[in-house]
Amino acid sequence: MAAAQAGDAAAYDRLLRAALPMLRAVARRRIANAAEAEDAVQDALLTIHTLRHSYEPARPIRPWLVAICERRAIDRLRRHGRRGAREAPLDEFGETLAAPGANRGEERVASAELRAAVAELSPAQRTALGLAKLEDLPLAEASARSGMSIGALKVATHRAMKVLRRRLGVEE
Amino acid sequence: MRSEELIGELAAGLQPVRRMASPWRQAALWLGLAAAAVGTAVLMNGLRHDLHQRMLMPQEVGQWLASVLAGVLAAVAAAMLARPDRSWRWALLPVPALLAWFASLGWGCLSDLARLGPMAGQMRASWPCLRFILAMGLPLAAAQFWLLRHAGPVRPLPVLLVGGLASAALCSAGLSLFHHLDAAVMVLLWHGGAMLMLVLAGALLGRPLFMRRQA
Repeated sequence: MAAAQAGDAAAYDRLLRAALPMLRAVARRRIANAAEAEDAVQDALLTIHTLRHSYEPARPIRPWLVAICERRAIDRLRRHGRRGAREAPLDEFGETLAAPGANRGEERVASAELRAAVAELSPAQRTALGLAKLEDLPLAEASARSGMSIGALKVATHRAMKVLRRRLGVEE
Repeated sequence: MRSEELIGELAAGLQPVRRMASPWRQAALWLGLAAAAVGTAVLMNGLRHDLHQRMLMPQEVGQWLASVLAGVLAAVAAAMLARPDRSWRWALLPVPALLAWFASLGWGCLSDLARLGPMAGQMRASWPCLRFILAMGLPLAAAQFWLLRHAGPVRPLPVLLVGGLASAALCSAGLSLFHHLDAAVMVLLWHGGAMLMLVLAGALLGRPLFMRRQA
């Protein structure tokens, strides 16, 4: 550490790497959650870096490092405790609104997109789609109702489906 | 980011730093500053006319020495507490002197009671006490907190409290040299009250200074 104070980056790197298992052990003793403990170790590394000029070379380095790591781990636990007390898990409240339509936003967005896509079709395509697919009429009856030939109906239905697929981003 | 990468980055950006003076030297530095400031204030105000008389009374001398000692030891304790690897027990260092000082004041109250009659008759408002301790003590405490600002990420509150106590005790000791207060109960209330205010104000105002360094 004394060398690091003088600016020896290699010595500093070696020191911190050698201390890392010890710092992790200190943090894990305080914090059960592994990711949170690792964050505390990184907090400690940053504090060690900030305070490196306050280390007294005549004194052993280990208690100095451990004390800083303990401090950061406790800070993190406290912060976590405070945040935990204020927060509530969101999914429990995800679908509890009383109005029947209120929880169906996604469906409504999807149907609005479909309606917009249908509006882009030509009138012939729309008619063909409505008769052949929605009402599910036999082609002969659909032809009689729309005044389009069976061939024209087939083509229009096929093209309409193609347009909708492309518009709604369905893979063909 | 993984901790190993963080270490790599910290080491790569390493700048040489000037090593901080030892806590003993920091305490001595601040005590020198405080002695100069309080001493100047005392001389500007003039010593109290009955100082010579007072200094012949062992109880008074002991009381004054205890207050100075509490201030000096609190300054040392604050400098020690600001280092992460020093024991928290340093905080206990000024406690005996502080207790001796207040015990002596309490004893003084009792003997005044016998000498001067009921306490209520001895009470007056003494705003100059409060003013001096706060006006002198806050800048001194600020100087100390600045000197010990490395305590922010380590032990902020103990350093603020013990450091505030150091300023308060030394200001109170200085005040006793020029301000004429006969009754011990007055000293206890006005000096003690002002010290308490100074310690609390120091802790409240010093907190942002310390917290800023923690980021």
